[in-house]
Amino acid sequence: MSKVGLSLTVAAVAGVTVLTGCSATAGGDDEITVGVIMVGSENDAGYNQAVSDAATALDAQEGVNVIKADQVAENNSVTDTMQSMVDQGAEVIFATSYGYHQYAVDFAKSHPDVVVMHQSGFYEGDSIPDNFGTYWSAGYELVSLGGIAAGEATESDKIGFIYAFPVAQTIANINAFHLGAASVNPNVTTSLVNTSDWCDPVKQKQAVASLTSQGVDVFSQHQDCQSTVIQAAKDADAKVVGYHYDAADIAGDAWLTGSSWNWAPVMIDIVELAQKDEFTGSEYNDNWLGMLSDGNSSLTLADFGPSVDDATKSMIEEHKASIEAGEESIFTGPIKCQDGSLLVAEGETATYADINGFDCLVEGVVGTLPKS
Amino acid sequence: MITIILAGAIATGTAILLPALGELITERAGITNLGTEGAMLGGALAGVMLGIKTGSPWLGILGAIVIGALVSALFAWSVVIRRANQLAAGLIIWFLMLGLTSVIGRSYNGQVLDPIGTLAIPLLSEIPVLGPILFDQSPLVYLGYILIGVIGWVLARTRVGLKVRATGERPLVVAAAGSQPHRIQLLATVIGGGLAGLGGAYLSVGTVGNWSTDMTNGYGFVAVAVVMFSAWRVSWVTVGSVLFGAAIVTASQLQAHGFAINQYLLDALPYVLTLVILVVISARRTSQPEALRAALAPN
Amino acid sequence: MITLENRLPAAHRFKSILPAGKFAGAIPPLVALVAALAIFVVLALVQGSTIDGLINALTKGVFGNPNYLQQVLTKAIPLVLAAVAVTIPARAGLVNVGGEGQLIMGGIVATGVGLALGSSLTGPLVWVVSAAGGALAGALWGGICAALRVWFNAPEGVTTLLMNFIALDIMLFLLYQPWKDPNGSGQPQSRPLEDSAILPMIPGTRISTALLVVIVVVFAAWWLMNKTSWGFKLTVAGGNSEVATRSGLSTVRLSLESMLLGGALAGLGGALNLLGVEGQLRPDVTATFGFVAFLAAFVCRNKVLPTAIVATVFAAILVASNPLQLRAGLDGSATYVLLGLLCLGLAVAPFTARRSS
Repeated sequence: MSKVGLSLTVAAVAGVTVLTGCSATAGGDDEITVGVIMVGSENDAGYNQAVSDAATALDAQEGVNVIKADQVAENNSVTDTMQSMVDQGAEVIFATSYGYHQYAVDFAKSHPDVVVMHQSGFYEGDSIPDNFGTYWSAGYELVSLGGIAAGEATESDKIGFIYAFPVAQTIANINAFHLGAASVNPNVTTSLVNTSDWCDPVKQKQAVASLTSQGVDVFSQHQDCQSTVIQAAKDADAKVVGYHYDAADIAGDAWLTGSSWNWAPVMIDIVELAQKDEFTGSEYNDNWLGMLSDGNSSLTLADFGPSVDDATKSMIEEHKASIEAGEESIFTGPIKCQDGSLLVAEGETATYADINGFDCLVEGVVGTLPKS
Repeated sequence: MITIILAGAIATGTAILLPALGELITERAGITNLGTEGAMLGGALAGVMLGIKTGSPWLGILGAIVIGALVSALFAWSVVIRRANQLAAGLIIWFLMLGLTSVIGRSYNGQVLDPIGTLAIPLLSEIPVLGPILFDQSPLVYLGYILIGVIGWVLARTRVGLKVRATGERPLVVAAAGSQPHRIQLLATVIGGGLAGLGGAYLSVGTVGNWSTDMTNGYGFVAVAVVMFSAWRVSWVTVGSVLFGAAIVTASQLQAHGFAINQYLLDALPYVLTLVILVVISARRTSQPEALRAALAPN
Repeated sequence: MITLENRLPAAHRFKSILPAGKFAGAIPPLVALVAALAIFVVLALVQGSTIDGLINALTKGVFGNPNYLQQVLTKAIPLVLAAVAVTIPARAGLVNVGGEGQLIMGGIVATGVGLALGSSLTGPLVWVVSAAGGALAGALWGGICAALRVWFNAPEGVTTLLMNFIALDIMLFLLYQPWKDPNGSGQPQSRPLEDSAILPMIPGTRISTALLVVIVVVFAAWWLMNKTSWGFKLTVAGGNSEVATRSGLSTVRLSLESMLLGGALAGLGGALNLLGVEGQLRPDVTATFGFVAFLAAFVCRNKVLPTAIVATVFAAILVASNPLQLRAGLDGSATYVLLGLLCLGLAVAPFTARRSS
């Protein structure tokens, strides 16, 4: 390798910088810089796009300057990214991918004056650092409502769920989806296919085809991107329940309902607290879970599709209202695993921590989880 | 279930067959193009971009072929004219295309178009058992059937095919006979790239109807491996592609039936199979084009 | 290598039969590099970046950034070893594209050993055993392909590539099943290594002492390849196997040994990445490193020391992704385009114009 060549290039660049004397665009004194990190592409019409949209809304707030990074892998690179953001003056960082958890925790510990929030994780240590928190919303609440729609819509009594990896939220979602459907349709079964990938359109398509050949006529999924599943379901004359992002326009007649993230209120809240130095000890300095019953869920129910009849709509609205009033929860026992053992005991309601630890699929789900 | 698996094997296998046929031509001429994956990616994205912009998926397919050919033309220039090491150049092209398609494709990530879907051939698709498997597929699958025949025949029976094969075996003889091995190699690689682009578009425009980063997921590499273990014969390339397609589809099917299979084992199975078959075929050692063998050495 | 040209006894006779390609003249490598950079800048501008932003990224994010060097050296730990892992088999005429898989296997075994021993042994012993385990795993992974090549003539350029996919699936299996962290909220990760199993940082820095190991190993590899008779034998065997055999060298054994050693280096890189950088096994810990490393080795024509340096430069480019995204508004995958362009430039305009056989 020509070291001469490399040094010349370096010298040239250095010379240019000295001559042009450029400086970084610095935020104003009162302006707070916030970093947002995503694992996938911010245009995926799914999980990451929801984050990106919230970041844009946050940036529109007065006195807030957002810097975004996407396609950051779930390895030590994200630590470099967080560091780069801090170098640019970031005082709050939102690390929004499941696999960033440990890196976010470690970074928070080594940078006590930066507020680090991890989206979708769950801190299991003894005492949470003063500048760290996780935030999520009880996706399963709305997924269960989608399940009701699915249970009503299915004619074959077979609904399908396509997932990527058996992580805690996915298991909770699968269970909630099925329980919701079963609550209106006791004969329904939920068949599973996993794609071993958060967004692999080819595998998603095959999954839909496999399930369709089994007679499945309503689909939902837990993937980062959902266009393929939606389209494939539509082509197969099946119905679909969306997740992460409102894709009703893609789904057309196939759309039943779905849930989409609106992270902006939470993010704005957190940034305001950080600006006022009131983050430590706040509700977000914890494992924060937005819930319908608390009125602060970041997940909203999408509009209903054309095929959902009024009776179903009002039933779902009723359930939603009752969840919001704290009167019901989809994970109230008795709930049995596939092998008959009790997942949730009679009369008890699973807590966030419980749900995060679910390790079995409920009765009526067809498919298995990898044993760990 | 068997019918579904077989039909799915052909459908999925076509995504490997198309680039594999292209790579077959390329390797017969003595060039190994690991950049096939890059050509597939380029084709997949180009297909979606053009398909959405013009509203016609078929224009997208055409564009994909062109882009795939261009990508492999870049590779061909590097390797045939500039004499770069083939394996390295192929990987470089792949890397480059991975990055380029990610960057250029980012605004297309969430957009969809109507995939070409399947077209049942009247009468033929009603043949019991075989009908739905063979004749209720995407038009691109039917194109694949035609290509198998055409490429097989051209390579084995025509002067053009002879020249291509000779270029891979004895380029000097070809030169002495008045043709130009360099040109033949360039052309063979570009055609291979076009087919790879077609394969990529088959996935994006033909099957799923959208683009997503790295959606070809290594199928281009699988195609290269399939060509190698097929002993450079069209018939075996076809079998290999369908087998691989079957392995992928079976995983999905078994899961949908609720069988408790280890997903990671199933994911690895196609690669393990490819490895085993490759080893068995290599041990025979008879049919590898000479220039190809030389090309597989480093630097 | 046997090329089109030197099948003929006299090169000039070749020239008269086969016309030279239109652009077959020598291109100065520096021109190619500059051209690659220029193309990259044009692409960046087309994508919406600005010259200001790019310069800002370089000044504040790269050259003016006090953390940058440490980040680069940290990333270099697995990259450099994976790159040198390519050079050793290359000397023997073998193509090792299995860096990804060897890094993964090294990481897997280092994690397994580290978790198993972390509480019973302390200090340097755990490090040594874990690292050695990782190196052995990498050696095995590469050795399989070497054996397949030597005994079945299976092209190692393809088998090593396939083994990468298999290694990935093995790792996913372990992380989602037997090794899944019970306290990890379902995350695909192993239990974290105990503090005692983690290598210390170089005092006063945030760089792992693993870097020191890498430096020592690189020099050892250089010495082995260039100053020992084994290295010389390897060069002979890789150059012309007929000459080698006639000289009494066992090309089979040398091929195997070179691939075992190459795999061991990559495995060690994967192990050090776990023990010194990550501390916990996750699916993406070394994602794409194997291929980037291969390109570094290729660009340097498989010479050990330049490869180590270029691998570090490539690490620097990868780390630059952050300022390029954050300050210059580039896409997260832009650095792969940059690397691809630079390598392509060097592939078509290499530093040594002569193709040695």
